[in-house]
Amino acid sequence: MRVDPRARGAVRYSVDADMPGQLHAALVRSTVAHGVVRGIDVSGVAPGVTVLLPEDVADLPLYGCQIADQAVLAERPRHAGDVVAAVAAPTPAAARAAARAVVVEVDELPAVFDALDAAREEAPLLHEGLSVSDNDAAYFGIRPVAGTNICHRFRIRHGDVEAGFAAADVVVEGTFRTPAAAHVPMEPHATVARFTEDGRLEVVTGTQTPFNMRMELAAMFGLDEEDVRIVVPPMGGSFGAKTFTRQEGIVAALARKTGRPVKLVLGRSEEFLTLNRHPSIVHVRLGATRTGDLVAKAVTCWADTGAYADCGPGVAQKMGFAAPGPYRIPNCWVDAHAVYTNTPPNGAFRGYGAMQSIWASERTMDLLAARLGTGPLELRRRNLLRDGDAYATGEAMHGTCFEELLDRAAAAVGYEHDPAGKGLCLVMKGMQTPSRASIAIEREGDGYVIRCATTEMGQGARRSLALLAAERLGCRPEQIRVPDPDTDRVPYDTRTTSSRSTFMMAGALAEACEALLEDGRRGHGTIVNDGGLDPDTGQGVASTHWHQAAGAAHLEVDEETGRVRLHRVHCAVYAGRVVNAPGAALQNEGSMTMGLGTALFESVDFNEGQVTNANLSDYNVPTARDAAALTHELVEREGAPIHGLGETALPPVPAAIGNALASLGIELYDLPMTPERVLEAIDRRAAPSPEPDLEARRR
Amino acid sequence: MRWHAPADLEEALLLRGVHGEDVTVHAGGTFLGILMNQGLIAPPALLSLGRVAELRGIEVARGELRLGAMATHLAVERHPEVREGWPMLARAFGLVASRRVRAVATVGGVLADADYASDPPAALSALGARAILRGPGGERSVSIEELILGYYTTCIRPDELLVEVRVPPAPERAVYRKFVSRSSEDRPCVTVAAAHGAAGLAVVVGALAERPQRFDDLCAAAAGDLAAAGAREQLAQDYAARVEPIGDARGSAAYRRRVCAVEVRRALEALAA
Ligand SMILES: Cc1cc2nc3c(=O)[nH]c(=O)nc-3n(C[C@H](O)[C@H](O)[C@H](O)COP(=O)(O)OP(=O)(O)OC[C@H]3O[C@@H](n4cnc5c(N)ncnc54)[C@H](O)[C@@H]3O)c2cc1C
Repeated sequence: MRVDPRARGAVRYSVDADMPGQLHAALVRSTVAHGVVRGIDVSGVAPGVTVLLPEDVADLPLYGCQIADQAVLAERPRHAGDVVAAVAAPTPAAARAAARAVVVEVDELPAVFDALDAAREEAPLLHEGLSVSDNDAAYFGIRPVAGTNICHRFRIRHGDVEAGFAAADVVVEGTFRTPAAAHVPMEPHATVARFTEDGRLEVVTGTQTPFNMRMELAAMFGLDEEDVRIVVPPMGGSFGAKTFTRQEGIVAALARKTGRPVKLVLGRSEEFLTLNRHPSIVHVRLGATRTGDLVAKAVTCWADTGAYADCGPGVAQKMGFAAPGPYRIPNCWVDAHAVYTNTPPNGAFRGYGAMQSIWASERTMDLLAARLGTGPLELRRRNLLRDGDAYATGEAMHGTCFEELLDRAAAAVGYEHDPAGKGLCLVMKGMQTPSRASIAIEREGDGYVIRCATTEMGQGARRSLALLAAERLGCRPEQIRVPDPDTDRVPYDTRTTSSRSTFMMAGALAEACEALLEDGRRGHGTIVNDGGLDPDTGQGVASTHWHQAAGAAHLEVDEETGRVRLHRVHCAVYAGRVVNAPGAALQNEGSMTMGLGTALFESVDFNEGQVTNANLSDYNVPTARDAAALTHELVEREGAPIHGLGETALPPVPAAIGNALASLGIELYDLPMTPERVLEAIDRRAAPSPEPDLEARRR
Repeated sequence: MRWHAPADLEEALLLRGVHGEDVTVHAGGTFLGILMNQGLIAPPALLSLGRVAELRGIEVARGELRLGAMATHLAVERHPEVREGWPMLARAFGLVASRRVRAVATVGGVLADADYASDPPAALSALGARAILRGPGGERSVSIEELILGYYTTCIRPDELLVEVRVPPAPERAVYRKFVSRSSEDRPCVTVAAAHGAAGLAVVVGALAERPQRFDDLCAAAAGDLAAAGAREQLAQDYAARVEPIGDARGSAAYRRRVCAVEVRRALEALAA
C-alpha cells in the first residue's frame, strides 16, 4: 500500500532542517503595545548565551515588502509581542530560559487598537514618514496618506455614483466587520540560517515568497542578491502565514553575531503574534431600480494592517477591487484603506482581502433583495457579469461562468423549491497581476528534473507540475522529480500566492517542455501576465483571469440559544480545466473548512492590544465533524484554460451562511456568527432596528 | 525533569507522600501536556500513574459503580455495565473532546484538574458520586462539591491521590445535556446534568461558572410537580437567576445565563418525558 509520506512522518519540513554546529534562538517580546525601550538588562542570562540587542542591528535598514517600516529588532515596540531582542544558545530549552531572563524596560506611548480610531487625525501615529519599499511586491502605486496611520488608499471611480443613487428607487446600506484570524498551520514558522566562509547568507525556511525574501535579506545585509540563498522545504501548511520576511532577518542577524548557524522555531502562542488576517470594517451602500437593476454602489473598506504594513496595502487594494462583486453596476465608487494599529501585523491570508469585502457585499445583496421583495437568486441572476460586460475597473469580462455556478449552488440546496433557511453567495476574486513565472526542465537519468520556485505547502503543487510535464513529454509523472526550491538553482518567480501557480507555471512549463523536446537536454519557459490598476481611479486590468465560485447554505437555528445547525454548505468552483483532481478537491475542502471557521468560530481576541486567546483551546478551529456538512463541485469547460482554485471556496461560506440566516429574518453584520450574536440578531428581529449600533460593536 | 513510574498503588502513594508538592501527578497527560507546552508550568518531577494497574478498574459492587482513577474516558463510555446502569454517565464521558483525547484522558485527571469547562464533574455531581482520596493519613470520601473548590483548585492534599470515584445506584431518570457554542469538539459552554429518583431531584449546571452549580433547595421545592410545564420553566428561571456565570471566549456571562434557563428547562422536559 502506498502511504502518503506526510502520514509516515517522512517529509522533512523546515522544523526538521538542521545545520551542523547550529545554535538555537528564542525571542524576547514586548509586553507593551506601544512604547520606547529604555533599557535591556541581560545580567540574568546564563554565560555562553548570545543576546542580540538593538545596537547589534543598528546598521541594518528598515525592511518591509511594501513599505519599509520594520526594524529587525524594535527599539520602539508597536504591538504587544513585537520582538525587542533575541538570544542564541546551545539548546532550545537554554534559549527559552535565556529569553525569559532578559528584562526589558519600556516607556509606554499612547496606543490605538481600532482601525477607525487609528484613521482619525488626532490618533497616535505609529510611523512618522513612510517610505515605499524597493521590493518588487510594492509594484502597484502605494499611496500613504502623510501624517496619518493610513499606509495606503486605493480608489475605484466608475461612473457617477451620486447620480446613480439619485436615480435609484431603492437604496440599502450596512456596515460589516470581520475580526483578526490566525492561519493555524500545523508547522509553525521555522528557519535555520548561516553565513558561509565566503560571506554568503544561506537560509532554509518555510516561505511562499523565496525571491521576495532573497531581495529583502540582500538589501538588509548589504549583499548582492546572488549572495543570498533561500531553500524552501515543504511547509506543514501556510495559508499565507509564511509570506515575505518574518523571523528570517532576526535569525540571520544572530548568525552574523555568533558566527554560527542559528535555528529558530516559533511556539504556537507566538504564531498569534507573528501574522494574522486583517480585521476589516466595510461599509456598503447599494442602489437599484424598482425592477432590480443595480445602478449604484459605494463601498468604503478599512483594513487593519496592525503595527507593520507587510502586504496590507495589497490586501486593502484587493479588498477594494473585489468590492464591486461580479455584477454590472454602471456607477461604482470604492475607497479602500490600509491602516496601522498597535496590534500584531496582519498580512496575506487565504482569500487575501476578498473574503472581507465579499462578506459585506453579498450580505448587502440580500438586504437589497428583501427591500425590493425579489428573491436573492433572481436579483443575482439579473445583474451578474457575462462575457463582454465591463467590470468596475473598466476591463471587459471574458471566460465568465457565474450563471452556471449560481444555478449549481442553488440546486444543491434546493433553493428554488423552498428558500427558507437557505442563502447564496457569488464570488469573483482576482489573481496576482502583473506577475511573472519561469521554469526550467532538464533530463536526468531516464527522467526529468523540474527547477521551479513554486513552493509546496500541502497544496500538491509538485504533483500538479509533474502531471503537467508528464502529459507534455509523454512519460510517467513518477519519472519527474521536483526538488525543493533553491534560489541558487531555480529561475525567478513572483511567488506562490493568490492561487496563481498552477495557472502561471502551466504556461511557462508548456514552453519549457517544448524547448526541451527541441534541445534534447533542457528547456526554459517564462510567462508574464501584464496589467495593474491605477490606484487613484481603479481603472485598468485588475486580473488577467478571475477565480469564480458560488456558494449555498442550508441551515436551521435553535432560536432559544442561537446555535446554528448546518444541513449543507455547497460550493461550485470554476476550474476551467482540472489538472490534479484529488488535489483540486482537497483545495476546495480546505478552503471551505477555513471558511466555516471564519463564519462561525474564529476570532483572535484582544484586550488593550494583548491577544487573549493565543492557544488552540481558546482559539477554536473547525474539526472533521464540523466539515461533514460541506460539499463542493468543480466546474470545467471544454477548451478552457486552467484556473487557480486554492482560495476560491473560502469566501462563499460565511456569506452563504449569513444569507441563510437572513432568510429567517436573522441579520448578522459581524463575523464570526457565534450563537450569542445570532441570538442578539433574533432579539433585534423581534424589535426591529436597522442595524446594531457600530460604536457598541467595537468593544 | 524526573519521571517516577511506580508499578503499584502502594509505591505511588509512598512517592507522593515523600515528595508532596515537588512531584506532579501525571495521569493521561492531556491537561498537563498543554500547560507544559505553553510554559505555564515546569514541574521538576512527574509521578506517572500509567503503570498502576489497580487504578484502571471499572466495576459494579453492591449496586455501586466504582471507577478507578486511571480508567479512561473511552473505557467508561464503552463499558457495558456503565452503559446499562448509568447511561447518562456513559453519555457525558462520551461527549468529551475527541476520541483521541478520550482514549487517554482519565477519570481522576478530569476531576483533579478542576477545569471549569468540563463535562464529567456536573454529571457525577448530579448522580451523587463521591471521590475517594488516599494519603498517608488514610482514606477519605468527598462529594464532587467538596472536591472542586474553584478554578483549577480541589481539596486534594499534596500527599494524597484520587484513587476512585464511587457512584451510587442510578436514579430512575437522568439526563445530560452539553451545549457547545463553537466547533463540535469544543469544550462546553454550558452543561446540565439532571437526575430524578428516590433521592429526589438534582440539577447541576456545569461549565458556566468556576465550579459546578447546584441548588438543592430550589430542586427540593420543585421536585413534586415536574410534570407541569410551568413548574419546569420556573425552576429553570430560578436556576438562571441564581447561577454566577463567567464570560470567556465561549460566551459572555449574560449569554450563559440565558442558555442556562433554556438548557435546564430542556433537561427537565427530558426527565419528565
Ligand atoms: C483537545 C481537548 C479537548 C477537550 N475537551 C473536553 C471536553 O469537551 N469536555 C471535558 O470535560 N474535558 C475536555 N478536555 C479536558 C480533558 O478531559 C482533560 O484534559 C482530561 O480529562 C485530563 O485527564 P488526564 O488523565 O489527561 O489528566 P492529566 O493531564 O494527567 O492530569 C490533570 C491534572 O490532574 C492531576 N491528577 C491526575 N490524576 C490524578 C490523581 N489520580 N490524583 C491526584 N491528582 C491527579 C494532575 O496532577 C494534573 O494536575 C479536553 C482536553 C483536550 C486536550
